[in-house]
Amino acid sequence: MDFGYLFFLSSGLFLGWSLGANDAANIFGTAVGTKMVRFNTAAVIASIFIILGAVFGGAGTTETLDTLGSVNALPGAFMVALSAAVTVFWMSRTGLSVSTSQAIVGAIIGWNCYCGKSTDFAVFGKIFGTWMLCPLLAAVAAVLLYFVLRRFIRYSHMHLLRQDSYVRTGLILMGALCAYALGANNIANIMGVFVDSAPFHDFAIDNVVYLTRIQILFLLGGMAIAVGIVTYSHNVINTVGNNMLKMTPLAALTVVMAQALVLFLFSSQSLRDYLISHSLPAFPLVPVSSTQAVIGAILGIGLLKGGRGINWGISGRIVAGWVITPLIALIVCFVSLFFLENVFNQVVYQPELTML
Amino acid sequence: MFSTKFSLFSHTKELEQKIDMLHDKIIEAAMVFKKATDVYLKEKRSQTYRKLSKEIKIIEHDADTLRRDIENRLYSQNLIPDFRGNILELVENLDKVINEFDEVAHKFYIEQPEIPEKYYERFRELVGQVCECAENLAMASRAFFYDLSAVRDYSKKVYWLEHESDKTTASLKEGVFDSDMELAQKLQLNSFLTEVADIADLAENCVDQLLIYVIKRDI
Repeated sequence: MDFGYLFFLSSGLFLGWSLGANDAANIFGTAVGTKMVRFNTAAVIASIFIILGAVFGGAGTTETLDTLGSVNALPGAFMVALSAAVTVFWMSRTGLSVSTSQAIVGAIIGWNCYCGKSTDFAVFGKIFGTWMLCPLLAAVAAVLLYFVLRRFIRYSHMHLLRQDSYVRTGLILMGALCAYALGANNIANIMGVFVDSAPFHDFAIDNVVYLTRIQILFLLGGMAIAVGIVTYSHNVINTVGNNMLKMTPLAALTVVMAQALVLFLFSSQSLRDYLISHSLPAFPLVPVSSTQAVIGAILGIGLLKGGRGINWGISGRIVAGWVITPLIALIVCFVSLFFLENVFNQVVYQPELTML
Repeated sequence: MFSTKFSLFSHTKELEQKIDMLHDKIIEAAMVFKKATDVYLKEKRSQTYRKLSKEIKIIEHDADTLRRDIENRLYSQNLIPDFRGNILELVENLDKVINEFDEVAHKFYIEQPEIPEKYYERFRELVGQVCECAENLAMASRAFFYDLSAVRDYSKKVYWLEHESDKTTASLKEGVFDSDMELAQKLQLNSFLTEVADIADLAENCVDQLLIYVIKRDI
C-alpha cells in the first residue's frame, strides 16, 4: 500500500467528512427540525444511502469527475480537496449551511489561477447561472408543491394522524432517495481526483459481492461522509431545520420534494433529451448545490406565508456565505498551492495536460 | 420495511379509532344526561335515574381510559410532534366536559334538589342547549382531525348555544330568587344552574382553543 497516496487521499476523506457534516442538513434538516424524524434515525438512514449511492451510483457521474480530473497532479488534487474541505468545515462550525459544490469550484479556479491556466468562463458562467437559478427554481417548486399538497389534504379529508404517518413516511423515503443521489453525485467531487492513482484491487466475496477498485475508493469516501453526518451535522441541521423558519411537517416534506425535483431537473439526461426533442428550452446538465435548493425552498415557503416567520438575519448570512465560500476556497487553495510547491517541493500541476 | 410500514399504519388506525371513540363518548354523555334530567324531573331519585347516573359514570370512566391511552400513544409513538401538546390539551378538555356531565348527574342523585314545576320547561330548555352545545363541540373537535373547514361551522353553533344557555340560566336564576322559596333552596338551585351552565362554558373554552389550533394547522 502506497502511504504517500493514503496521505494525499486524507484530504479527500476530510472533504467527505465536511460534506457529511454540512449536507446531511439538506436531506434531513427539515425532517429533524420538525421532530418528525429523530436525529439518530436520520443519521443512520442518510449514512447507509449515501454509501450505497457512492458505491453503486458514483461511477456514473463522469461529467463532474472529468471536470475535476483536470487537476492533473496528485499533490495539486490534495490541496484542491483540502482547501474546499477547510472552507466547508470552517463555515459548518458557524452553523451555516454552505455549498460543497461552490467550495470545490472555488478551489479549482484557485488551482487554475495558480497554474496560470485560463478558466473556461463558458463552463463557469453556466455553473454560476445555476447558482442563481437553483434557489429561485427551488422556491417556485416548493410554493407550487405546497399548494398542491395542501389542497389535496384539504379535500381528501384525511385524518390528522394518517396525514402525519404519510408525511413521516414521505420524509424518510425522500430523505433516503436524496441521500442516495447525494452519494452518487458528490462522491466524484470528493474522490474523483484520486481515481486514476487508486492503489486498490477489485474485491469479491463468493460472487455475491463484487466491488471494483474504484468502488472501494468510493466506499471509503462514502464512509467519510457517513462519519461526518454522525459526528458533526447536528449544528447545521438545527440551522436549516429550526432557526431559519419554523416549519410544519408538510412544509418540511415540500422542501425535500422541491430539492429532489430541482436536482432531477439539472441532472436528468433523459428529461433534457425529451425537452430538446420537443423544441423546448432544456436545463443545463451541471452539478447544482443541494444546499442552495433547500435554502431556496425554505425561503419560498416562508414568503408564501407572508415572510413574517423567516429569520432574515440567518438567511442573509447563509446567502452571504454563498458569495464568500467560493472566494475563500479560491484564496485558501491559491496560497496553499504556493506553500506546497515552494516549501514542500511538490508538483502541483502537469503543464502539458489540458485544464478546466 | 413493508412490515414496519404496515405496523406503523395499523397503530395509527387504532389511535384514530380511539380519538373517534372519545368524541362518541361526549355525544353519549350528553344524550344520557339529557334523558337523566328528564327522568329526574318526572321521578326524582328513582331506580331509572340511578341507572342513568351510573351509565354516565361508566361513560366518564371509559373516557378517562381512552384519554390516558391516547396520551400514552401520542408520546410513546412520537406522533404529530408539532401538535402533540395541543392535542393533549384538547383531549384533556374534552374529558373535562364529560367529567362535568358526570359530576352534575351525581350531584342530582346525592342532593336531590327540589325544582318547582313552573321551572321545568325552562330547565329542560337549558339542559337541551347545554347538551347540544357539547354535541357540537364533539363534532367540531372531530372535524379538526378530518376537515378543518367544518370546525368553524360547528364552533359557531357552540358559541350561539352557549350564549343562549347563559340567557336561559340568567332568566331561571332571576325567577328562582324572585320566588318565595327558602334561601337555602334558592342557593342550592342557583348552584345547580351554575354547574349545568358550566358545561356549555367548558365547551366554549374548548372551541376557543380549537379555533387557534386550526389557524396554527393552516399555516
